Amino acid sequence: MTEVTENRTATDVLTIAGLSKSFGGRLVLDDVSLSVHRSTITAIIGQSGGGKTTLLRCLNLLERPDRGLIAVDGEPIFDRRVVCRDLPELRRSVGMVFQRFNLFPHLTAVENVILAPLDAGVPEREAVERAVGLLRRVRLTHRATAYPEQMSGGEQQRVAIARALALRPSVLLFDEPTSSLDPESTGEVLRVMRELAGDGMTMVLVTHELSFARDVADRVVFVDGGRIVEEGEPGQVLGNPREPRTREFLTHFSQSHQSKE
Amino acid sequence: MFQVPWSEYSVDLWEGLLKTLSYTAVGFVGAALLGLAVALMRLSPARPLRIPAVLYTEVFKNVPLLAVIFLTYFGLGSIGLKLDAFQAGTLSLVIFYAAYLSEIFRSAINGVHGGQQEAAEALGMRRISTFGKVVFPQALRLALPGTNTMLVDLLKSTSLLVTISAAELMSQGRLITSATFRALEVYLVIAAVYFVLCYPLSQGLLWFERRIQAGTPLSVGRRRRLRAAKALLDRKMSAQEMSTQEMSAQEITTPEVRA
Repeated sequence: MTEVTENRTATDVLTIAGLSKSFGGRLVLDDVSLSVHRSTITAIIGQSGGGKTTLLRCLNLLERPDRGLIAVDGEPIFDRRVVCRDLPELRRSVGMVFQRFNLFPHLTAVENVILAPLDAGVPEREAVERAVGLLRRVRLTHRATAYPEQMSGGEQQRVAIARALALRPSVLLFDEPTSSLDPESTGEVLRVMRELAGDGMTMVLVTHELSFARDVADRVVFVDGGRIVEEGEPGQVLGNPREPRTREFLTHFSQSHQSKE
Repeated sequence: MFQVPWSEYSVDLWEGLLKTLSYTAVGFVGAALLGLAVALMRLSPARPLRIPAVLYTEVFKNVPLLAVIFLTYFGLGSIGLKLDAFQAGTLSLVIFYAAYLSEIFRSAINGVHGGQQEAAEALGMRRISTFGKVVFPQALRLALPGTNTMLVDLLKSTSLLVTISAAELMSQGRLITSATFRALEVYLVIAAVYFVLCYPLSQGLLWFERRIQAGTPLSVGRRRRLRAAKALLDRKMSAQEMSTQEMSAQEITTPEVRA
């Protein structure tokens, strides 16, 4: 299995091989293998409960897999057990944005962004400068001293993105970042993510925004029943899927979205 | 009606007042520290820590404070562990109120959303920083109302120490009564002194609670970082002279007060 990582270290930020995970006897991930190349966007799509979020959460070991291998920047972090010596260090290189933002409610927007770098030993002055720069990047300087509860969902999620970027991670994981947002806020967040993609940020996102995946992703992975059913270029997977199960999902998805509209 | 020569007793009253405040301060700080330790033990995944903490809380929540005072002063004295009134009094207050405070702290720590811990973990924060910088400050806000009530309650309960002649306000009142035989007058004055202590204290704590809830940064570090961020934002703003962002510049001059 180490062979896999050695061969791909040059371009792969993330390598997963033979990953399995079950919760209380129910297999949630079943022998999943995937590589994420540097400066690419990988969109993971699929039904709720299909294992997408679990897969994402395994990547920074918020969830411990039962079997398999995970390597970040060519360095194995999980090989049938956790082999990463310094979990906090790993998590600083794998940023994560949650569906429900999870901002720290007792701190202002700018302090939310400052906290982790400061904790990681970045000098205060630099941490503050970095935070202000990142708030500018997500167009929220005017909300720097607002508390999360004073902000809209879209603003909170953009602060969460700035917070995840503050440690300069080599990859950013997004867990359904727009699922709890209204259409306008969704637009704001997707705009920021699009810009990040343009800047060459490596991103893995679990999403229901298929049109965003089609426009921005380099690779789309369809996960169902804990397995990768199909993966490939967005145009192919979303436009001309090979697998009947993918076609079925896309048909249901577009039907349910039409009926909503 | 007022026939007690109060000027003769003003020194006694003053000393009683100081004694009451010392019992309150030492008792409360001790109870808060012990209460936090017991709360953390109860939240620990390790059974050998959890079980003694549960036993401790349940025992002292269900025993009257007066019994605890008699046990520490007379009980321990009878087996050779002689404590003076101040030691026995503060010890009783600490162990009794720690049981209640541990319950308040435990539910406050539990009340911090699980996603907070996870977010801190995902940001590579270590367990101690996660607790100190993310969980504890939020738990503190949740614990504040209950803790404040306990502080005022503890102050009033120091009057029970009259039973071991602890030289606090109530004991002084008893001494003055036995010298003057003016129980109504003396105890009215003593009650008034307790009121004058407790009312501003509870109002002050309410004010403090509201400030905390409004998000006013209290620590020096937070104020400094916020100032630095604002200075940086102001500088960039004026450099760019963006008329469209004038609103934003106004907004960031003061931290926004929560509704």
